[in-house]
Amino acid sequence: MDLASNYEIDRTAQFILNGHFTRVALQFPDELLRDSTRVVRALRDELDDIEIGLFVMADTTFGSCCVDEVGASHVGADCVVHYGHTCLSQTSTLPAFFVFGKAAISVSDCVKSLADCLSTSEEPVLVLYGLEYSHAINHVKEAMEKELSSLRQSKSDLVLYFVDVMCTVMNPSTVDDHPESSGCTGANGTSSNCKRTGSSLDGNKYCIGGLTWDLPDGCKMEDCLIFWIGTENPAFTNILLTYNGSEIVRFDPKENSLAKDFLHHKRVLKRRYYLVEKAKDANIIGILVGTLGVAGYLHMIKQMKDLIAKAGKKSYTLVMGRPNPAKLANFPECNVFIYVSCAQTALLDSKEFLAPVITPFEATLAFSRGSQWTGAYMLEFRNLVASSQEDDSDTEEARFSFLQGGYVEDHDNESKEKPVEDGERSISLVEATQRALQLQDSNPHYIVKGTARSGAEFFNKRSYHGLEMHSEKSVPQPFVIGRTGKASGYQNEKENREIL
Amino acid sequence: MVKFTADELRRIMDLKHNIRNMSVIAHVDHGKSTLTDSLVAAAGIIAQEVAGDVRMTDTRADEAERGITIKSTGISLYYEMTEESLKNFKGERQGNEYLINLIDSPGHVDFSSEVTAALRITDGALVVVDCVEGVCVQTETVLRQALGERIRPVLTVNKMDRCFLELQVEGEEAYQTFQRVIENANVIMATYEDPLLGDCQVYPEKGTVAFSAGLHGWAFTLTNFAKMYASKFGVDESKMMERLWGENFFDPATKKWTSKNTGSPSCKRGFVQFCYEPIKQIIKTCMNDEKDKLWPMLTKLGVTMKSEEKDLVGKALMKRVMQTWLPAANALLEMMIFHLPSPAKAQKYRVENLYEGPLDDIYAAAIRSCDPEGPLMLYVSKMIPASDKGRFFAFGRVFSGKVSTGLKVRIMGPNYVPGQKKDLYVKSVQRTVIWMGKRQESVEDVPCGNTVALVGLDQFITKNATLTNEKETDAHPIRAMKFSVSPVVRVAVQCKVASDLPKLVEGLKRLAKSDPMVVCTIEESGEHIIAGAGELHLEICLKDLVDDFMGGAEIIKSDPVVSFRETVLEKSCRTVMSKSPNKHNRLYMEARPLEEGLAEAIDDGRIGPRDDPKVRSKVLSEEFGWDKDLAKKIWCFGPETTGPNMVVDMCKGVQYLNEIKDSVVAGFQWASKEGALAEENMRGICFEVCDVVLHDDAIHRGGGQVIPTARRVIYASQLTAKPRLLEPVYLVEIQAPEQALGGIYGVLNQKRGHVFEEMQRPGTPLYNIKAYLPVIESFGFSTLLRANTSGQAFPQCVFDHWDMMSSDPLEVGSQASTLVAEIRKRKGLKEQMTPLSEFEDKL
Repeated sequence: MDLASNYEIDRTAQFILNGHFTRVALQFPDELLRDSTRVVRALRDELDDIEIGLFVMADTTFGSCCVDEVGASHVGADCVVHYGHTCLSQTSTLPAFFVFGKAAISVSDCVKSLADCLSTSEEPVLVLYGLEYSHAINHVKEAMEKELSSLRQSKSDLVLYFVDVMCTVMNPSTVDDHPESSGCTGANGTSSNCKRTGSSLDGNKYCIGGLTWDLPDGCKMEDCLIFWIGTENPAFTNILLTYNGSEIVRFDPKENSLAKDFLHHKRVLKRRYYLVEKAKDANIIGILVGTLGVAGYLHMIKQMKDLIAKAGKKSYTLVMGRPNPAKLANFPECNVFIYVSCAQTALLDSKEFLAPVITPFEATLAFSRGSQWTGAYMLEFRNLVASSQEDDSDTEEARFSFLQGGYVEDHDNESKEKPVEDGERSISLVEATQRALQLQDSNPHYIVKGTARSGAEFFNKRSYHGLEMHSEKSVPQPFVIGRTGKASGYQNEKENREIL
Repeated sequence: MVKFTADELRRIMDLKHNIRNMSVIAHVDHGKSTLTDSLVAAAGIIAQEVAGDVRMTDTRADEAERGITIKSTGISLYYEMTEESLKNFKGERQGNEYLINLIDSPGHVDFSSEVTAALRITDGALVVVDCVEGVCVQTETVLRQALGERIRPVLTVNKMDRCFLELQVEGEEAYQTFQRVIENANVIMATYEDPLLGDCQVYPEKGTVAFSAGLHGWAFTLTNFAKMYASKFGVDESKMMERLWGENFFDPATKKWTSKNTGSPSCKRGFVQFCYEPIKQIIKTCMNDEKDKLWPMLTKLGVTMKSEEKDLVGKALMKRVMQTWLPAANALLEMMIFHLPSPAKAQKYRVENLYEGPLDDIYAAAIRSCDPEGPLMLYVSKMIPASDKGRFFAFGRVFSGKVSTGLKVRIMGPNYVPGQKKDLYVKSVQRTVIWMGKRQESVEDVPCGNTVALVGLDQFITKNATLTNEKETDAHPIRAMKFSVSPVVRVAVQCKVASDLPKLVEGLKRLAKSDPMVVCTIEESGEHIIAGAGELHLEICLKDLVDDFMGGAEIIKSDPVVSFRETVLEKSCRTVMSKSPNKHNRLYMEARPLEEGLAEAIDDGRIGPRDDPKVRSKVLSEEFGWDKDLAKKIWCFGPETTGPNMVVDMCKGVQYLNEIKDSVVAGFQWASKEGALAEENMRGICFEVCDVVLHDDAIHRGGGQVIPTARRVIYASQLTAKPRLLEPVYLVEIQAPEQALGGIYGVLNQKRGHVFEEMQRPGTPLYNIKAYLPVIESFGFSTLLRANTSGQAFPQCVFDHWDMMSSDPLEVGSQASTLVAEIRKRKGLKEQMTPLSEFEDKL
């Protein structure tokens, strides 16, 4: 497929010209970066206007599926063109144009698999697809129409739904806007102001990962068979986890095969359940900021902080780009991390992490009393904004921890302690000294068992506190010559190696 | 026809010298529940006629069905002694009325946690031993537990009816059997003797041994017969009692007592002559229906029968006659009242075992003196499901003070640390209840020395807790119970319908409460796990879960699994090194197995993180041959900071070493919990830090760099030290007749078990076999054993030790490597082990 069509050069140019943008950031994921110069050249030719600045952005701080608005604002861009796989998360400041790319697909094979599926399934079939296949979906639809008529002869109650792509152009949601509604332009150019509801139910409208569809009354997602066209990627994982009650099959256009077995994802879901249980026992929670673009992320962080404070726990907010084990291990005091990010980068489960990383949805389950894991699952945090407002009924029962196999009470009493009034300063000083003079239990229980309640307490219990004063060595020491060489092998070590 | 009311009971509760708290303990099937029935009958809760058949304390349907006791059940009995029978009682008493709080406990080893819970709240124990089978495994276990809790035992030799009816043994032979049973029991008691408890061996001539036939509802102590004969011989009772046991012979022809058998045919042992023979004769007469002979004999004995009872024949007549002549309740209750301590007496010496805090504070003093006016100290030892589903009674013992309806109490959970707010609740008691068989009666308050059930606290107590008054903020809790069995058999459960999960969670929560031993946890893979002491225990737990606690939701259970441990066989073949992610820091380590017995010492808490370093190094150097200086360089234990693995610092002159200690410890805790083979806990490994190279700049040697590196180097050193799996092994005791031995050996061989002791029980055709059996092979073992021995062999399995599996898990195709692959698959890990090259770096 040629470059111009694959990268939709003409439509991109149209978008830039229509919006009167003068500085345009072109965001490429790593795998498409090699095409970037050619895309810029093609665009330049198409635009025919040297006043418009085109900037190539690569190596985004967070997931490359999200629009990197912070990066774009470094060059003062007034819009972003995003190439490649995307999660279509709502942007917060800049308008964005999405080019999904056009992946190769055999329409006839796809239709054949779909027809097979349809004829064997008792349930209505819902066709979802990866955005990179959206260009071919109309062909599939047409071919399917023909198939359907022949299929209906043998089986009359066939129901088939196709989903639509939400938009390819996105306008930022403004501050006073309701976080859930935003301006979108439909895929085929018709402007529509669709209400974004994510995967939560609003009437019968569903929306997930940039796809949107309606179901007739009385038809629930659990009753549908989901037919996914695309490869196994985060978008698919998102669908699998969100609609874990539905039967799901996947048509892989690369292999031209149908996959049905997703036991692995049941495993993932169970594992997430364990992480929620584990998070319930946490005292110190790190909130990892995993996006600076997705609309409502600040709101979400605030909501998480409130939630944690309400549960009587301590939270710290950390911005560290994409987390890795070494970065997280720098915060051993945190018992669990909440990763606030777009839906498709949200799942981080590596055994390498010292503490589990959970999503805001899971955090809501873990930290609000009375909420239970029912099997429903969501990854897009915008859906949480509304749902978590419900007041948690104050249950009498103490919390049962499955990790410890018994009742465990959280330390909410402590947080309600009032700060000492200024008038009693003399006494407070005495108290402070008393506290300082208290004998500290020097065993490392606090550190490993996660019983510390705040970072300060954790550091207090460490065996190493900072500078070491060797009082017994008060006499001046003779100077010694340190190591020289590079960290990969200091000079003295090289000598050792030679001896060996 | 209930002879007493709750009000009456409540009144005696204040008389702390007239209370006896006791549990009935024994090997499985030696007749505890049946015997308990006779006692309950005496209190008028069930009719005398059916005593022996009802098994009053087996309240659950499955208990009745299987014929075994599963849960321990408490029952309060009221008993009035006659002034005459009390005249020999030397201890303190307040009137003639007695309250006996009796707890019937299960005999099967899988439920011995129930026994532990029962023992904690009682002061005395009635040890029941089958006169034919003698002292068995579980008898020994429960006796040891009882003495550990400072519980004074009395013994009853049960199933006397078998001697008379089934075996028809002669007097002298029977005497020898009884003598041996008592001796065996005394040997055990002497072994576990406690100086404060004093001599607790039992002697028939002192009245601390009874002879009973639970099924027929009769029993006697030598006191009964001594009373009868004392006047006849014109000696006092105690003198007579001595003559009735041991080497005392009587010849009716010469009317002389001798200390040796004179050889004359009419010369017989006192016990045989005066106790055994008369009973035998009565029974024989009854069974042969010789009523004309019987009535005069009974009149002579002073037994009067009701007219309608005189029409009975055969066994029914015998039972009735014996019950009237030697009622079990009288003999046993008298024995308890005379020889078991009252709470006031027992708490004096039990306080040291019970109270965790300083023994000179007011709480210890109140417990010691059993002071009803003192601060409340109450120990909840178990939770009993209430009739309304999902709620529980907190069942326990008041050690001091009073607990009353509406009282606000401080609940100190098992993890409570004085001065902290962890695991502490203040709640009010909704109702205080006492147990009377199958009925519960509400009472206003319960004073110290009694058992009690509390309503309204179940949402804050998982299994056990210490309760005290709201204001008593400086009270320490009562020491947690120590169980003799551990939950080694595990099963994963999940619900059939995914949306039933909340029901399952609720059910597991309740299950965890209802049983003192069961552990409900969650695996890394998100599976809910139920862990129990054995197959039977798990079976009962699952049944409870499905029938009672889940509200009808269905569950799927996995096959039972056991957890393994990872260890090493030798010292690492080389010093391994790992680099930090930034390549600036290097850790060098070696792994080696801990000395034999050291892991067990850590398990038992003899060596642990909280020891005084000097004491620790003394123990380590003297018992395990450690270098004294090295013993001071233990950085930590793990997993969970107390586990049987450790990190030792062997470096010399490394800069900034103190700075990374915490990070290495954190990495070690993590790694020792999830070993490199199959993410099972490590056991018995010592990791030696040989050398450390650190970056000069503190920012480059932070936790982020060191923690993951420590974990990797620990894995690398584990893998280079010949890693092995440890599997849990049961100690199995089997009792069976000779002809069943072949079948037993066959089954044991098939199940990888090996016999290490085979002994014939003296005087019986029974053999006692002791064997080791891997826990993983024990599923279905008892069924198979029964099938292969036509039901004659009955095994008792107790977890004994961890056994190293000799095959190499790193060798492809070996038994251990298949096992590792299986475990990894179950846990949802990559089936292939991570290779050493992932953990070890080269310079």
